[in-house]
Amino acid sequence: MKRNLQALKSLTAASIKMYFRNVSAVFFTMVIPILLVVIFGVLNSGDGSGSIHIAVTNKSNTEVAKSFDTTLKSIKTFKVDTLSESEARDKLGKGKIDLQVIIPADFGATGAAGLQPGTVQAYYNQGKPQTGQTAGLIINQVVSQFNAKVTNAPQIYAFKSTAVKTNNLGYIDYLLPGIIALTIMQLGIFSVAFAFISFKTSGALRRLQATPLHPINFLIAQGATRVLIGMGQVIILLGIGIYGFNMHLIGSLFNMLIMAFIGTLTFLAFGFAIAGWAKDENQAAPVANLITFPMLFLSGAFFPRDAFPTYLQKITDYMPLTFLSDGLRRIANEGVGLWAVSGDILGLLIWALISGVIAIRVFKWE
Amino acid sequence: MAKVKTVLKVKNIKKAYGDFQAVKGVSFEVARGEVFGILGPNGAGKTTTLEMIEGMRSIDSGSVMVDGINVAEEPYKVKERIGVQLQSSSFFTNLNLVELLKLFGDLYHESIHPMHLLREVNLEEKAKSKAKDLSGGQRQRFSIATTLVNQPVVVFLDEPTTGLDPQARRNLWDLVKQIQSNGTTVVITTHYMEEAEVLCDRIAIMDDGKIVALDTPAKLIDQLLKRGFKPRKSIAKATLEDVFIDLTGKELRD
Repeated sequence: MKRNLQALKSLTAASIKMYFRNVSAVFFTMVIPILLVVIFGVLNSGDGSGSIHIAVTNKSNTEVAKSFDTTLKSIKTFKVDTLSESEARDKLGKGKIDLQVIIPADFGATGAAGLQPGTVQAYYNQGKPQTGQTAGLIINQVVSQFNAKVTNAPQIYAFKSTAVKTNNLGYIDYLLPGIIALTIMQLGIFSVAFAFISFKTSGALRRLQATPLHPINFLIAQGATRVLIGMGQVIILLGIGIYGFNMHLIGSLFNMLIMAFIGTLTFLAFGFAIAGWAKDENQAAPVANLITFPMLFLSGAFFPRDAFPTYLQKITDYMPLTFLSDGLRRIANEGVGLWAVSGDILGLLIWALISGVIAIRVFKWE
Repeated sequence: MAKVKTVLKVKNIKKAYGDFQAVKGVSFEVARGEVFGILGPNGAGKTTTLEMIEGMRSIDSGSVMVDGINVAEEPYKVKERIGVQLQSSSFFTNLNLVELLKLFGDLYHESIHPMHLLREVNLEEKAKSKAKDLSGGQRQRFSIATTLVNQPVVVFLDEPTTGLDPQARRNLWDLVKQIQSNGTTVVITTHYMEEAEVLCDRIAIMDDGKIVALDTPAKLIDQLLKRGFKPRKSIAKATLEDVFIDLTGKELRD
């Protein structure tokens, strides 16, 4: 037993060495997930200020107009340029600004009957209606404020907003648990299936069977390697998310690791079922892709499933990657313990059992 | 442990794959220190016979005793005592020769000196190479080195010289003789008759899943002549291979 353990340790060490020397395996299971986190992290790292670019042409020189102009510039969401009407129109046409605002010459001017009514004109790009409408709403509010000031009408309706303490979660908080889940799926299915099949087809596995070590140890070593790499990936990805992109890990790292461990076991069972069944890579690749590809999009790893039709949400509820990414996400984002995600854990274990039984039934050493 | 003089006792073993009877009752014994050759055309059942003896394939009927241990009952105990070179030797990718030998040592629970083993098979300067970067002859020599990590009682070499050039083949003969001189028993299969004649103390000729003749090379030739065999040509004093070796030298080309 102790001797076997020693052999197992040595086989695992060799298998880790082989993994890290296999450039394409490292690329797909380590580099790509890290790149995904960095790319999505950078793309979503803005706080929203200056995200709408507007150009203001002030044709009036009244105090009211000046004040209006200053108010616009003080709004954090806007990045404001002061341009002539034709310049601004040109830029809007080229899509360089989102909204053109024109304050007319008579804006804020005093006529015989006091203040003259004036209309602020805004043009926005038809192709970007959302940005245009958001900007329009904000400007509308500013105009109302000015109206209220000028007319001195009593404020009948008030709007009071109170800050509620939230975890202020951003897209990175949603995304990262999904990427961890994805990485674990790739590690379990692709990395194991292809490594094992190459040992099988090359005859390296056969050579191992001539030694006194029972070949099951080889499977354990392969699995242990993926578990260790998977756990390492959880820590690396969380580290990049937390320190690089302000991700919030509300739950405990330990619970994340336990959840990831269970997920690794589940996908390893898938991987071994494919590896044990397939004669060569050409048989394994389509099956592995058929299993992983739909889950990539349907499990909610990258974006929430809320927009799916109800029947699709119900089906995708039961996918192993859904269980894993939802469980990881709830631990990370809501800070819940393992008991709260026991449904996800149970789901994963049932999948592990199903694919484990299939693996045992279809497994061929040669 | 008392040394058994007969290292290998094979008694009437049979193996069928579906309807095909690959091995139809093979029996032979190999004495300690012997080099025993199994010859025969492709499909004669040589490899299946070896794999049953090595504990890598189940035996339908009959029995195999290796160093006094029954293979069918204790295959792992047998595997600890033997060294096996498979016909298509392949090793883990991305590990160099030293790492591979160490790994094999660990699988046998032996702490080994990889460089000593590599020196034995003349591959010292390839220590940091990967198995896939070796030439055919080097790969076979390395493959033999992996069979020696556990200081086996008997090594099984399945067609170790197939596909090698004459220089590499002769080099491998020297290695086999060296292994024998260390007291290790060798069971070898080959398609080359002159190789069997040079290396083997005794030969079993297999055909169609059975042993059709078993004796020393000299006696097998005698028996043939007694049956009235007339050589087609007068026996040449040298062979074409002798000419080839004379012209190209004995030096290894890999």
